[in-house]
Amino acid sequence: MRRGRDIILIVLLLSIIGVSIFAPFIVPFDPNEAVLVNANQPPDNIHWFGTDKMGRDVFSRVIYGARTSLASTAILVTVVFVVGGTLGIIAGYVGGKTDAIIMRISDMMVSFPGMALAIAMAGMLGPSIINAIIAIAMVTWTKYARLSRSLVLKIRNMDYIKAARLCGSSHLKIMIVHLIPAVLPTLIITVVTDMGGMMLELAGFSFLGLGANASSIEWGYMLNEGRYAMMAYPWLMLAPGGAIFITVMMFNFLGDGLRDRLDPKWRR
Amino acid sequence: MKKLATVFLTLVLTACSSQGSATTEGEHLNFACYKYSDSIDPIVNVNSSWCGIRYGVTECLFKFDEQVIAKPNLCYKAEHSDDYVTWKIYIKDDIYFSNGNQVTASSVVNSIERLYKETDASQGGKGNSNPEGYLIYKSIEADDANGVVTIVCQNPTTNMMGILAYPYFAIVDTTADEIIGTGPYKIDHDNVGISMELSRNEHYRTEVPFDTITVIYIEDSSTKSMALQSGDISVAENITSAEAIAELEQQPEKYNISTTAGIRTGNSYINFNTELGHDALRKAVMMAIDSKTMCEVTVGGMYTSGISVLPSSLAYNYDKLHTQYEYDKDEAIKMLDDANIIDTDGDGFRELDGENIDLNYIVYTSRNLNDFAQAIALQLAEIGIKVTVNIRDYDTALALQNAGEFDLITANTLTVGVGDPQDYLGNWYSKNAVNYGYYESAAYDELYEKLMIEPDINKRVDIITDMQQILIDDAATIVHGYYNSRMFSRVDDILKADISPIDYYWITTDILPRGVN
Repeated sequence: MRRGRDIILIVLLLSIIGVSIFAPFIVPFDPNEAVLVNANQPPDNIHWFGTDKMGRDVFSRVIYGARTSLASTAILVTVVFVVGGTLGIIAGYVGGKTDAIIMRISDMMVSFPGMALAIAMAGMLGPSIINAIIAIAMVTWTKYARLSRSLVLKIRNMDYIKAARLCGSSHLKIMIVHLIPAVLPTLIITVVTDMGGMMLELAGFSFLGLGANASSIEWGYMLNEGRYAMMAYPWLMLAPGGAIFITVMMFNFLGDGLRDRLDPKWRR
Repeated sequence: MKKLATVFLTLVLTACSSQGSATTEGEHLNFACYKYSDSIDPIVNVNSSWCGIRYGVTECLFKFDEQVIAKPNLCYKAEHSDDYVTWKIYIKDDIYFSNGNQVTASSVVNSIERLYKETDASQGGKGNSNPEGYLIYKSIEADDANGVVTIVCQNPTTNMMGILAYPYFAIVDTTADEIIGTGPYKIDHDNVGISMELSRNEHYRTEVPFDTITVIYIEDSSTKSMALQSGDISVAENITSAEAIAELEQQPEKYNISTTAGIRTGNSYINFNTELGHDALRKAVMMAIDSKTMCEVTVGGMYTSGISVLPSSLAYNYDKLHTQYEYDKDEAIKMLDDANIIDTDGDGFRELDGENIDLNYIVYTSRNLNDFAQAIALQLAEIGIKVTVNIRDYDTALALQNAGEFDLITANTLTVGVGDPQDYLGNWYSKNAVNYGYYESAAYDELYEKLMIEPDINKRVDIITDMQQILIDDAATIVHGYYNSRMFSRVDDILKADISPIDYYWITTDILPRGVN
């Protein structure tokens, strides 16, 4: 049963990734091709998801939107995973002042609301998906730092670590060979579980005009564009909203599945 | 226990329902609009001066009528010398500020002197309003015995009545600590950024229809439309979503929509100090833009398309103007190819002198300007011109405009703010600080300088016609169209909520509660 569900989820994930990679071969229209006179057409045989205010094919834009949304989410999780994980391992292993400095910076960042930071960054640098990624990453890495630090603290005084030290292993080698493998499964489970939330957060920022701008094709921004005519032309929100819903749900299920398999506590 | 819970619940609900609601005694109006300023002081900036008039708190000596002709308001007549240098304004004797102080010739002079002093940095003034942009006077004197204000101008000033009708020149009581005007309503409480509570000016010269008014700031058009439909507001200004308007239009028995032919022009200033200074590129850009479809479809008729910076509804010979840059995409592409503005690196976008063209289009989201910018960016992409649309808040956009940090920037301007377009046409006069696009034309400058001193109305019209044609020929700005202003009201609540062509008149005594005849 569980195996079947996992297979379906992996197939879905690969399908969405495939769709985003092969978008140019899938879409029936150029997603940026504006035929102004065809604005706000309802779904039909030609435009499966209708057209938007600029007369662009919504289906093609949803397909292309997968690229931006998936890529930006992937970049975001990679950044917080690598930065947070690395700093957490260093803090936990080195301890002392290094630990205190990293953790105090972490405390400062965690007390800063991501939305306020994003608004400030959009005000200073202008709204863009990169700025939104930076704003979210700046307040999210702390979670991974704390997690990896706590995991490292548990094992850093264990005999096999001491033995490695006695054998002359460098600190870097100890971290790479012993510590990272120990914290990796938990971090991976966390990051996969968080992917859906991060995607929603990025879409939310774009919806509010703090993330993707008019030049990019992104699901959250498409929702924003469709909001003005929610009642008159509902397909403008339903299509990108549905895409976000399916993808986020898939990531959430995938995270659950991965946790079931990798986390010993849940396996029991 | 059950009874106690019921009593408690009732108390809570009563408390909640009374919170935030305005007084229910007498006639009350909830009026929704975009918030342009936190202040109504005419010295602060253009928007604050407008807000004072818009909310019915301040008034000017003159007021524009439906034909945009300035008529006496707080005064009963104006006389001028033959050379238009000296003006005598005769103040009515039944005008009072909302605090009960009478408006005299001296209080008018004090108000005008305050405006100039508080906007003059050399005198320690901190206001950003620019009255000197309209009127520079040598002297201003009050004769209280006869109720006459005498203004001696530095230059002949033919349009004095129009200038004194502009919100900068709203008359306020300088003896008061806060802004006290002569309008039909006065401020009771200002919930900064949220709403403003107004009440009847008991000293107003005619009957004031509402006892209290709450001006509620709502930026989003859909929200305004929904608030109107739910009855949370009774009058809304400036709903700019074509879809929301269409929805309201389908129910004429419930909602009244007052529309007036636009005297606002939506345009995009072109920065001539950038690659758009290149004639062929700029003219090709003009030919690639389908303004008619944008006005009729993209913004759903919110604008009327046109070729000139002055609206076709004004009497400035629009019919005599012509453009050589009608929409023709193929011709635009040919023009670029002929000028050797081509794509050499294969990225789909053209280069100018080996540099990629990427136009920085600054936009703010007022009156569908973002829709125009986005549609233009898409149309220019079709001829190989890359455009990056950057949506900014209004203040940031203005700062970027003043700093010249743009290739294109949107604007929506009342073209005859003082009843005459001279001020607006100054935006392309090369010696003017507000020449945002750094446009330079010796012929245009010469005509503008003539216009500044020409008192004859017919000759002014001829000059203005020639100036418009020069701007069209030089492809000096992208004209999107002429905005059709609207006012929306609930039929069951309100009578006569009509929009004025001059859109700094919103809340007036003309708006009546239903049941008042």
